[in-house]
Amino acid sequence: MNIWIYILRRTLYIIPILVGVTFLIFVLFHLVAGDPTYLLLGKHASVSQMEALRTELGLDRPWFVQYWDVLKSSFTFDFGRSWASKQNILDMVKQGAIPSLTLTLPAFIIGLFLSIAISLFVSFHRGKPIDRVVVFITVALMSFPSLAYILFGQYFFGYKWGLFEISGYEFGFPYFIPYVILPGMIWVAVSLGPDVRFFRTLMLDEIYQDYVRTARSKGMTERAVLFKHVLKNAMIPIITHVMNQIPFLFLGSLLLESFFGIPGLGSLILEALNNNDFPTIKAMAVLIAVIYTFFNLVMDILYTVVDPRVRLG
Amino acid sequence: MSEQGLEKVLEVKDLVTRFHGEGGVATAVNSVSFDVWKGKTLGIVGESGSGKSVTALSIMRLIPSPPGKIEEGQILLRGQNILDLKESEMRGIRGNKISMIFQEPMTSLNPVFTVGNQIEEVLHLHQKDLLSKADRTDKAIEMLHLVGIPSPEKRVSEYPHQLSGGMRQRVMIAMALACGPDILIADEPTTALDVTIQAQILELMNKLQDDLGMSIILITHDLGVVAETCHEVAVMYCGQIVEFADVHTLFSSPSHPYTKGLLESIPSFDSTVDKKEGRLPTIEGMVPSLFDLPPGCSFQNRCFNVSQKCRGSESPPSEKLEKNHIIRCFHPVENQGERTHP
Repeated sequence: MNIWIYILRRTLYIIPILVGVTFLIFVLFHLVAGDPTYLLLGKHASVSQMEALRTELGLDRPWFVQYWDVLKSSFTFDFGRSWASKQNILDMVKQGAIPSLTLTLPAFIIGLFLSIAISLFVSFHRGKPIDRVVVFITVALMSFPSLAYILFGQYFFGYKWGLFEISGYEFGFPYFIPYVILPGMIWVAVSLGPDVRFFRTLMLDEIYQDYVRTARSKGMTERAVLFKHVLKNAMIPIITHVMNQIPFLFLGSLLLESFFGIPGLGSLILEALNNNDFPTIKAMAVLIAVIYTFFNLVMDILYTVVDPRVRLG
Repeated sequence: MSEQGLEKVLEVKDLVTRFHGEGGVATAVNSVSFDVWKGKTLGIVGESGSGKSVTALSIMRLIPSPPGKIEEGQILLRGQNILDLKESEMRGIRGNKISMIFQEPMTSLNPVFTVGNQIEEVLHLHQKDLLSKADRTDKAIEMLHLVGIPSPEKRVSEYPHQLSGGMRQRVMIAMALACGPDILIADEPTTALDVTIQAQILELMNKLQDDLGMSIILITHDLGVVAETCHEVAVMYCGQIVEFADVHTLFSSPSHPYTKGLLESIPSFDSTVDKKEGRLPTIEGMVPSLFDLPPGCSFQNRCFNVSQKCRGSESPPSEKLEKNHIIRCFHPVENQGERTHP
C-alpha cells in the first residue's frame, strides 16, 4: 500500500475520534457543570436576567446545535470568548502557548538528547561500576519529589546565589531566556531519572539480541554497533515515548508555571478553573484532544519510516 | 594429527576459557586443542553446555567479558596468535578472515536494515578501499546469487522479515563469505530449520567449500550432519575434547564411552535398538554442572566402564591411539568389526 494512501486513511480516522471526544466533553460539561447562569449571575438574579444571559450564551438552543459548536471548534479552533475576561479564547491560548513552549520545548529536547546519550553510554559500559553509579543516581533523582527541586532550586540558584530569575516572564527573544533557565533545568532534572532508566532498559533489551552478535562478528566497533544497529531498533519505543509527551509540552507544567509566575497555558487552565470559565476549559480540553490525536498520527507515520515490518494495512 | 600436504589454517592450542560468575568459576573450555586444515571441515559435536559455542566464540574473541575470559592457550591463525592482537586488529579479522554464522537465522539479521545493506556493511568494514559503493551493491547481489537466492537483484533491497528461515540462513552465509574468509565458523547452522531446508543448507556449504576453498568449523549436536559434511570430528564433553578423529575412524571405531553412547543413540536399522523395549539406547544420567565438576574424569557418573581410577584426582590425559585419533579416557573401548555410517 502506498504511503500517501496510508497517511490519508490514517488522517480520516481522526474524524470519528474527534467526534467521540468532543461529544464526551460536551456531555460531561452538561452533566457535571449544571446551569452556568447561576454561577455567573449569583443567587439573586431575576428570571428574565437569566433568560437573557441564556440567549446571549446560546444555551437556549437545542443540544445538538450546541454540540455542533463544540465539534466545529475542533476543526476551526473558534472557541468564542472567555466568560471571565471576555477575550477571544484562541488569542488567549496563543498568548499562553508561547511562555509554555519556550519553557518546555528546549528543556524537553535537551533532556531527551541527554538521556539518550547517557543511556547509550551506560549500555556501552553495562555491568561495569560506572553503569551501577548512573543507575544509583537515576534512582536518587527519581526519589526526590519535584516540589523539592523547585524549592531548593529557587532557594539556592535564585535567592542565595542570585543566578537566575525566579518569577515572571518577558515576551520576545532573547528576553524570556533568564526566566526559563531555572525552571527548564528543573524540568530536565526531574525527567532525567525516569528517562535514563527507561532508555537504558530499551538499549539493553536490544544489546543482547542475536543481530547484535552478528554485527560484532562482522568486525564492527562496539560504538558503531550501538549507534547503527541498537539505536535504530530502539527507535520504536523511543518514538512512542516522545510522541506521548509532546502534547503535555503545550500544556506546560502546572507546577513550574505557578511557582515561577510564568503566564503559560498551565496558568491559563488553573485560572479558568478558578473562575468557572467553562468555554476556556472546554477549549483546552478540545485542544488537548486535537493535539494528542495529531501527534498520534505523526507517531504512526514515523513507525513506518523506522521499522519496515510495520505494515501499511 | 595431520593429513599430509595440507595447509594448516588455524591451530588452537590448550585453550582455556572460564566464566567468573557469582556461583563460582566455570571452565567452559578446558584445554582444547585442534587444527583446522585448508578446505576441510572440522566438526565439533557435543551436548548443550559442552563448550562448543564458547570454543567458537573464543576463536572470534567475542566472549562476553565480564564474566568470560580466555585465560590460557593460543589460537594461531596462519601462525599468528590472535590472542595477542589488539581489539582493533581483531576487528580486522572478524568477518574478514574468520566469519561466523549462527543457529537462529530468524533473529540473527537486523530487522530494520535491508539484506543488501547488511551484506554491504561487511564489505564496507573490510574492503572500503577496494570497492566503491556501487561495487559493494554489485558484490552483495553476486553473493546472494552465489548462495542460491533466486532473483537476487530484487531480494537485495528486501528486509529479513520478507524472507523464509532457509533464505535468511543463506543471506547469513552470503554475508559471512562476502570478504572471502579463510575460516567459516558455523554454530548449529541448521538446527532451527526444517529437515529439507537443513539438507539444502548443508549441501550449499559443501558446494561453497569446494568452490571457494575455505575451511569450516561446524558446530552441531547432530551426528547425521557430521557424517554428511565433516572430515574430522572433535567430540566435546564438559569443556574438553574427549575424542578426536577423522570422520571414518570416529564412526567405525569410537573409542570413548561417551562417543560410543552418542553413536548408539542414533536411530538406525541396526540391531542397536533394544528389541524388547523398542526404545533407543540413551546415556544414563545428566551432564554435571560446570561449577561443580567431580575430580577425575568428568564423564565418570555416566560411564558404563568406570573404574576407581576415573574417580581419582587425575583427569584422563590426551592420548594418541593412532596417528589421527586422540582420546581422553583411561579405559578406551575396544572395537571389533566395522560399524556402518548412520
